[in-house]
Amino acid sequence: MGDESVPYLLGEGTTKTYQIPISHLDYKFIEKCTDVKHLEKILRVLRSGEEGCYPELTLVCEKRIEHLDPRSRALRKDKPAATASDFTAEEWEAINSELTSWLTEMNEDDKKSQLLRTDTLNERQDNLPPIRCSSSCLSTNQNKKLQNKRSKKNIPRDYSEWDKFDVEKECSKIDEDCEESNSKARFFSRPSLAAIEKKIDTTGMTKREKIFIATREKEKGNEAFATGDYVEAVTYYTRSISVIPTAAVYNNKAQAEIKLQDWDSALQDCEKVLDMEPGNIKALMRRATVHMHLQNYQTAIEDLNKVLSVEPENSMAKKSLIEIEEKLKGLNPVSGPPGKGKKILIQEIEDSESGEGRGENAEECERRDGDKTSAAPAAARAAAGEPAMGNAHRKSHGKGGGKGHDRDTHKQKESAESRGKKGASEKSEKHLSDHEGEVNGYLRSHEKSESAEAEELCKSHRGGSQSAGGGSSTSLPPTAAKLKSEGNELFKSGQFGEAVLKYSEAIECVSGLGEQSPDDLSILYSNRAACYLKEGNCSDCIQDCNRALELQPFSLKPLLRRAMANESMERYRQAYIDYKTVLQIDSSIQAAHDSANRITKTLIDQDGPSWREKLPPIPVVPVAAQLHRWDGGSLPSENKPSTVDVNREEQLQMNREEAMEKFKRLKNEGNDFVKTGEYEKAANKYSECMKLNTEECTVYTNRALCYLKLYKYEEAKRDCDHVLQTEDSNIKAFYRRALAYKGLQNYQASVDDFNKVLLIDPNVLEAQKELEEVTQLLHLDSSAGAGSEQTRGKKITIREVTEADEQEERQLATSEDAETHHVPAEEAVPKRVPQRSSEKLCVWEPSNAYDFGQIINAVNANKDKAACADLLTITDPKTLPVLLSNKLEGEILLIFIQSLEHYIAGKDPGLAYQHLFYLSKAERFKVVLALLSKKEKEEVQQLFDVLSESQSDQYSLEHLESLKKVYEL
Amino acid sequence: MSAALGPERPQVVAHAQQALSYTVFDCKWVPRSARLLCLGSAARGTGVVQLYELHGARLELLREIEKPKPIKCGTFGATSLQQRYLATGDFDGNLNIWNLEAPEIPVYSVKGHKEIINSIDGVGGLGIGEGAPEIVTGSRDGTVKVWDPRQNDTPVANMEPVQGESKRDCWTVAFGNAYNQEERVVCAGYDNGDIKLFDLKTMSLRWETNIKNGVCSVEFDRKDINMNKLVATSLEGKFHVFDMRTQHPTKGFASVSEKAQKSTIWQVRHLPQNRDIFMTSGGSGSLHLWKYEYPAQRSKKDSEGSEMGVAGSLSLLQNVTLSTQPISSLDWSPDKKGLCVCGAFDQTVRVLIVTKLNKI
Repeated sequence: MGDESVPYLLGEGTTKTYQIPISHLDYKFIEKCTDVKHLEKILRVLRSGEEGCYPELTLVCEKRIEHLDPRSRALRKDKPAATASDFTAEEWEAINSELTSWLTEMNEDDKKSQLLRTDTLNERQDNLPPIRCSSSCLSTNQNKKLQNKRSKKNIPRDYSEWDKFDVEKECSKIDEDCEESNSKARFFSRPSLAAIEKKIDTTGMTKREKIFIATREKEKGNEAFATGDYVEAVTYYTRSISVIPTAAVYNNKAQAEIKLQDWDSALQDCEKVLDMEPGNIKALMRRATVHMHLQNYQTAIEDLNKVLSVEPENSMAKKSLIEIEEKLKGLNPVSGPPGKGKKILIQEIEDSESGEGRGENAEECERRDGDKTSAAPAAARAAAGEPAMGNAHRKSHGKGGGKGHDRDTHKQKESAESRGKKGASEKSEKHLSDHEGEVNGYLRSHEKSESAEAEELCKSHRGGSQSAGGGSSTSLPPTAAKLKSEGNELFKSGQFGEAVLKYSEAIECVSGLGEQSPDDLSILYSNRAACYLKEGNCSDCIQDCNRALELQPFSLKPLLRRAMANESMERYRQAYIDYKTVLQIDSSIQAAHDSANRITKTLIDQDGPSWREKLPPIPVVPVAAQLHRWDGGSLPSENKPSTVDVNREEQLQMNREEAMEKFKRLKNEGNDFVKTGEYEKAANKYSECMKLNTEECTVYTNRALCYLKLYKYEEAKRDCDHVLQTEDSNIKAFYRRALAYKGLQNYQASVDDFNKVLLIDPNVLEAQKELEEVTQLLHLDSSAGAGSEQTRGKKITIREVTEADEQEERQLATSEDAETHHVPAEEAVPKRVPQRSSEKLCVWEPSNAYDFGQIINAVNANKDKAACADLLTITDPKTLPVLLSNKLEGEILLIFIQSLEHYIAGKDPGLAYQHLFYLSKAERFKVVLALLSKKEKEEVQQLFDVLSESQSDQYSLEHLESLKKVYEL
Repeated sequence: MSAALGPERPQVVAHAQQALSYTVFDCKWVPRSARLLCLGSAARGTGVVQLYELHGARLELLREIEKPKPIKCGTFGATSLQQRYLATGDFDGNLNIWNLEAPEIPVYSVKGHKEIINSIDGVGGLGIGEGAPEIVTGSRDGTVKVWDPRQNDTPVANMEPVQGESKRDCWTVAFGNAYNQEERVVCAGYDNGDIKLFDLKTMSLRWETNIKNGVCSVEFDRKDINMNKLVATSLEGKFHVFDMRTQHPTKGFASVSEKAQKSTIWQVRHLPQNRDIFMTSGGSGSLHLWKYEYPAQRSKKDSEGSEMGVAGSLSLLQNVTLSTQPISSLDWSPDKKGLCVCGAFDQTVRVLIVTKLNKI
């Protein structure tokens, strides 16, 4: 060591004991020496005084040793007991007063207990265990003792021993013997702790005794806890509580249970503490921990906030809070916060299930319809038209049924959820897996009913229902259908891997046949995606969903599955988009709502308040897709007998009927208004009806009628469009839209619609008449020039013609007998559709800007290009800027352009040029031009083309070109 | 341990002391009171029991009882909290149980041993330890006997060397493992350094070892739990702490030993409120306060896959020297944490306060 290497500088010899060089007894050496043992020796020499007394050096040596090894035994010195001088005055005071108060307490208590003592003693004695078997003798010599004892037990005893024979004891001895046969094992394994009584018999104990025992058990618990023996700790805390329940012990027990991850008990205990002491910081902290582990992050955060409100500096609480927030971010996707994750899990299954149910039922229904109406004239009608044409009763019923169905599934969701929660509380540790099991069980039981349907489905398949040709989605080849149903079965029984194989085969089979049945293929992909999702194979799931969606855009299930898969993969943005899309299609999917909300939170955490900016655009779901879903959702419920809760069903029925009642009333009121000609009010009534039931097509067609009467062609057209999206063969809607188009002077569209009406029902005379009329108009339109010549007079007269319209209505109504009941009003309404076909706007030469404005407005309202052309013909182009003043608008410009193109450019290109030229000089021209749409610009371009073709002395091509530039072409 | 050495280090304060006119062998706190008992031998060869009460910093003698034979040891361990009967062992080998309210006649008396009863311990009373109240006595006659106060004349268990074996002087006995009604062990220490562990449930010798020097005192850290630790002190100033949780088939229990001083360690007593703190009293009139620190893993597997214990470490919290004579007896107050009484051969009994035990 270091000391040996030190040369003997002084050579004065060594100490008597230990033979330490004298030179080592030196400040410098001691300061540098790192060998504790050597220093200890030096210290001993110094203390002994054999080399002389050096108190200073001794102190330095002690300090050095303490510095190197604070636990060194050499440092232990005999010390006198501490006295008052070793403490500060306060400490001394505290020590003494504490003892004094204890003494007084003890003395008082002693007196009391002396009075209390007596008869309880016997009672206590009765509870005592029996006396140990007498005269058991045990050798202290290990070699012989076992044999000794054995023989003692097993051989007959002498008489004196029999006297003391204790049957019970002997019996228990025999038991023990059995135990002893494997006593070796028993010795070396820890005795089970279950053997510790959980309760302490406190009969006859005074309060003081109870406190004493409770405290003692608590201390035992604390010690066990300190050693890491949490099970034992919990046992002793329980014992303590059995004597006197105190908040502190519950609190400690909670902590031990947290260590044992017995979250549920810990939670209970924390709550007991908080019942006793509502503000207990430790309990709050512990409850927060428990909640955190149970993944009830919100409650955990609440608790932590409570802690922080009391102790703002509590670093533990702060830390946990941060931790939770991180977890909230990080954990959401996969295992998720069980509270919510659980929900997804259930709902996911719910959804996939009910979704499947829906899908299958829808298919089935369609097929049935197809079968029934196999003679129906149009495939479209078979698919969707029939219900649309059907009476309102049936439809609204179906709708109500749909709602009820939804409600039922909701209820089931709830029950599953509560079950899930229960499960979780029972076995919090592995509650996820448990839960899975439970859910699977649930799934299976629930899907039994479905499988029957599925079978039926397959049968009807093989029955060759394809021949009906009605349902587009039923054309699976038998092999594929078989594979699919097998896959479904496997899926239901939880064998997702094998289900994947079946679906894959089915997919091959179908895609081998070409792309003739995209819907089926889409469903297969979607099903396979579900399997992948179950397996946790998110990337494959997403791929399949993508394929399914390519084949059938905006179909619900693949979207939902893709969303879930994305969420699992923490691709929150994509997941969010998908959920939102799902909600556009069907806003009643609670799971999607929840998930979207959850993801929103996550994204806000992740990206801050501007998270939306980072989102890819959410695709707009076409209305058709939305409504298609609705059909799918509402129709099957009609066929599906409700299985749950008759009362609820009845109540639903009541609500539905109430709503129906109100709906009918409003509609009748609307019809009445129509009868009296108050179309405005009627339209309002119908609008109210729509609030109650957005699916009722008749209301839309009726309102369209009102709008037609009010010349609100645009609105009328919109209503008809809406109806036709739902029921693409609604004959009335077509008829009225035709009229609306006619009003909008879109004669071509009008003709098309009339043709559709006649296609559906060739016997509608009104349609035939109208068609003739419109075709004439169309013809007229094309030869507008002549038409413009015919117009005379200065007044615009819009004649209201009560014409054959009424009759038309009646005919229509009779052709669809189902309708009559509900829309009696329509028949009675005198029709006053303006017949602009035979009429022309009378245009006079405007004298001032006001006149001009009036005429333009009138022209514009009717989109009467001919009249406009007239106006332009009689107006001096040079005055245009003045007349237009600052009223030039896009519409006006457009109608000018159209009029010029259709009516004037052909006849008088010079005039057209002049108009264009002066139009460009008008106020606001630039602005209006800038606002023109592409299509409108094309029209302007066309006009220029016409002008460039037809030469005139009024302008040269160069002029035209420069003007073109002015028009930004 | 570093904390123990800082300003938070416990201090031992000599709160009160009382000079006695006889040799004190044992002193005991009367449970649930501020009174204490001193047991000893008067100069004329009789036994003395003195009852003192603590009044401030003064010990007030309440009662003095004289008995024919010097009293070596006593315990309250087998009595109920209400009765608080004292069990004593005397030089003549008698086990007596006294009602201190009426001490003229013992409530129980048996001539248990042929020679002096060196040590006595009780369990099943005071709410400490499940099962029947029992008293164990260890004697110079080499036997260790377990008594049930409800059974007269004969012990309920007798542990003695077989015929022909040399009898060893049993210096100390202790109960332990009484965590339920069946389980119970007795540990005995002998003058030759033997430590024997008797299992009263199976009536077998569960374990034995030898620590080379006479065993002056053994004590389990707690009697009423699944046995956890055992401290055995020796004649030569060493003491051993055994981890009693894991027993290896051949190696027995793991232990750590520490040499406190050069002289005999007469007594070891665990703090009733914290089993990991204990005080040893030494031949040189000194007291040492120790803390046992558990290892990270209390057991490990040996090469054959058997569980074996791992001993922890010991740290000295405080040491004081009170006397030049040995401190032969020591007792912590079961009711007041840190309050402690010790009797020394300088015929003085001292009441000590150990501070800051909460902060360890």
